[in-house]
Amino acid sequence: MATLLDILREQLGLTGTKKGCGAGDCGACTVIMDKKAILSCLTPAMQVTGREITTVEGLSRNGELHPLQEAFIECGAVQCGFCTPGMLLSAKALLDQNPSPTQEEVRMAISGNLCRCTGYKKIIDAIMLASKRMKDEGGQGKK
Amino acid sequence: MSVVGKRVKRVDVLEKVTGKALFADDLRFEDMLYAKVLRSPLPHARIRRVDTSLAEELRGVRAVLTARDIPGESTIGILGDPFRDQPVLADEKVRFVGDPIAIVAADSPKIAEEASKLIQVEYEELKPVFDPVEAMREDAPRVHEGGNIAGHRKIRRGDVEEGFAQADVIIEGTYKTPFQEHAHLEPEAGVARVDEKGNVTVWACTQFPSNVREEIARCLGLSLNKVRVIQTVTGGGFGAKLDISVHCHIALLALKTGRPVKLVYTRPESIMTSTKRHPFIIKYKTGATREGKLLVVEIEIIGDTGAYASYGPAVLTRAAVHATGPYNVPNVKIDAYTVYTNNPICGAMRGFGVPQIAIAHETQMDNLAEKLGMDPIEIRLKNAFDLGSRTATGQLLAHSVGIKKTLQEAQKIAKEWRRDLLRKEEPTKRRGVGVGVMWYGIGNTGRPNPSGAFVELLDDGGVVVLSGCAEIGQGSDTILAQIAAEELGTDVENVKVVTADTGVTPWCRATSASGQTYISGNAVRLAAINARQTLFQQVAADFGVERGELYLDKGVIWVKDSGQKNLITEAIKKCRSLGILTLGSGWFNPDTTPLDPETGTGNPYATYSFATHLAEVEVDVETGETRVLKLAAYNDVGKAINPIGVEAQVEGGLSMGLGCALMEELIVEKGVIKTPTLAQYLIPTSLDMPEDMSVNIIEESEPSGPFGAKGVGEPASIPTAPAILNAIYDAVGARITTLPATSEKVLEAIKGKSSHQ
Repeated sequence: MATLLDILREQLGLTGTKKGCGAGDCGACTVIMDKKAILSCLTPAMQVTGREITTVEGLSRNGELHPLQEAFIECGAVQCGFCTPGMLLSAKALLDQNPSPTQEEVRMAISGNLCRCTGYKKIIDAIMLASKRMKDEGGQGKK
Repeated sequence: MSVVGKRVKRVDVLEKVTGKALFADDLRFEDMLYAKVLRSPLPHARIRRVDTSLAEELRGVRAVLTARDIPGESTIGILGDPFRDQPVLADEKVRFVGDPIAIVAADSPKIAEEASKLIQVEYEELKPVFDPVEAMREDAPRVHEGGNIAGHRKIRRGDVEEGFAQADVIIEGTYKTPFQEHAHLEPEAGVARVDEKGNVTVWACTQFPSNVREEIARCLGLSLNKVRVIQTVTGGGFGAKLDISVHCHIALLALKTGRPVKLVYTRPESIMTSTKRHPFIIKYKTGATREGKLLVVEIEIIGDTGAYASYGPAVLTRAAVHATGPYNVPNVKIDAYTVYTNNPICGAMRGFGVPQIAIAHETQMDNLAEKLGMDPIEIRLKNAFDLGSRTATGQLLAHSVGIKKTLQEAQKIAKEWRRDLLRKEEPTKRRGVGVGVMWYGIGNTGRPNPSGAFVELLDDGGVVVLSGCAEIGQGSDTILAQIAAEELGTDVENVKVVTADTGVTPWCRATSASGQTYISGNAVRLAAINARQTLFQQVAADFGVERGELYLDKGVIWVKDSGQKNLITEAIKKCRSLGILTLGSGWFNPDTTPLDPETGTGNPYATYSFATHLAEVEVDVETGETRVLKLAAYNDVGKAINPIGVEAQVEGGLSMGLGCALMEELIVEKGVIKTPTLAQYLIPTSLDMPEDMSVNIIEESEPSGPFGAKGVGEPASIPTAPAILNAIYDAVGARITTLPATSEKVLEAIKGKSSHQ
């Protein structure tokens, strides 16, 4: 049975979403389905009909990086980059639901995304920075 | 300096945050076939017969190959002869669960897998050996014809008998460390294609493209220049991607079928076949004066290298060289054995034998301090290397010895932590602080390991750097760009780094032994200087000054102490008009000597990095569970070319060290891995890492390093586990000597201690 990950990578050529284990253990395949971070390697393709899926390819708009992408670059949160797409989407799902997370909430939100390079510190810093910036920008927008 | 030492954004980061970075599994070719490997289910057996006929008949199967289809040489091994002992495809014998026997290429991954299951192999089971101590006996089953001891490294210095006779206090300990898995996030993957002229191109993840080219060429019976290895963006390695994985298999299948062939490992296949961290059994005896001065150590190390040598003898040699710790010890006897068994293959894993031995020397040191009633940091300071110290191999340390500085910095913060400790304890929880130190030789041990580089200064002042250096996430592309930019007076944005494509980049050592900044960095620096010299020659002639009077800054060439200047672009243009090309080449090999086989005497490394790590833990006395509350790292890196990259390496190292101390154990029973997934082999998650984690960079400049730099990749991780283990002891008096320190083991040790009292 084809999974959402298979469809994304093999049929649509959206290879930004990574396959690290194919068993739901590593989080590299995380995408957003209807506002929730899900593991695309465990999601049957059939369940996706009519749902909205966001992958890493959909994070930047018109060539402009998402604040999370900007923050990951600035904080040095990327090393080998294999966990990065999944990490970004877990972070986006969190910030979409909870724009002002505590550090603990950030840790919890990415606890299913394994990273072997960074020790998570700069990733957490980046998510906190993006959260702050998005709030600041949102606040300015309301004025 | 305007670029080196600055916090620079990675040059490869944009494609990594947008999903555009192409890892090997992301590549697609028209007409591409998919490969699958049939592997041995048995740890030790003779192959009587392999029948591939049913597999060949399956619709969609394009090739099924066994050992006899290999056109060239059929064995591989990263250390070269005499350790080229691993068959590309096993024909006579299988030696571990996972040994490859046949490979299939088919129209889809599913067909390839089905076909692999149709291959029939008849085995004659042989008596296996799994315990390295047992394997060392004369009458043990032989894994290889030549016997099971693949290496015996000896280090002798002074007189150990005399040393122990003089010692006021003797500490003995036995330490056991488990198999560990790199758990690089990207499983091994690659694609091979053969063109109409018979040139083979392989796109794959690897830490060592130059070696992959050589092994493929040997295996296919081709000249080196007919094989091109292009390293794809590599999703971590930590040593696992040094050895050959998919490379020869896909090249063989592409050659046979004439079509592109892709192979991607599943996670269990990756865990089953990639080399592991060697389990060590260490017997360690230390003698010291009552003032706490080390007099003597006697150490035996047995390392289980599994079915094939891989880097085994080199890992055990490095462990032996570093076994004293960064301490002055006048009398030394070390014996390190590399032993074959029918277990999974062990090879390089971040630290290369030093993490295991550091656990032993740092536990010994704390036990000694306790016995003498001394402070753990004081006793380390008392014995630590200085400028002018001699190591166990007799090497004089003449420069860049930062160990005391790292200890002194750590001492300040350790005092603060201790002051706050007791106030925060809960009734069933105890807190403790521990320290761990390490030293680490940069580059291969007493073996040549050079890198080359080319640099071209383009007409518009832009720079192209060609280097064979494999970026695996550690940030080397950025470091090389910074080094070239610094030497050529420009910005990182103005430098294009092309790396790890054997079709265009020169020979390069492996990304290992924390050596790329020092060795490939030096090569790039020399190439940049070479290009600059050509340019300066011309400019100096134009100004009528000496070449040495010129310097470059932000695209402008200045004559020292005069207002005279010229734009670099103008100077290059002038060169071009005269037919002069501003090209440079360079190469660098660390200054080492081989170790004497009987005494181990020699200068195995040109320079060493040093570090001290501190850990504060909280242990639940009812469950034995340990939480790491604080980590602080003090790493002497010579010079941090990119401080944000150093921090990133160390933070990652801290997490790997934490995993090593508390949770990581690949369980192998009768040669079978019982933890073949990331749900069973646990590595630290975001919830395991402490919020309070500090990285403190110490810079004891290394004169032979690029801008004073040494290395950090492995030193980032080595002292963490000893610090955590010592902190557990400090908290609850539980001394864990068989790793990892799981809750069960800590609880048992706590109970054992109270029953003794």
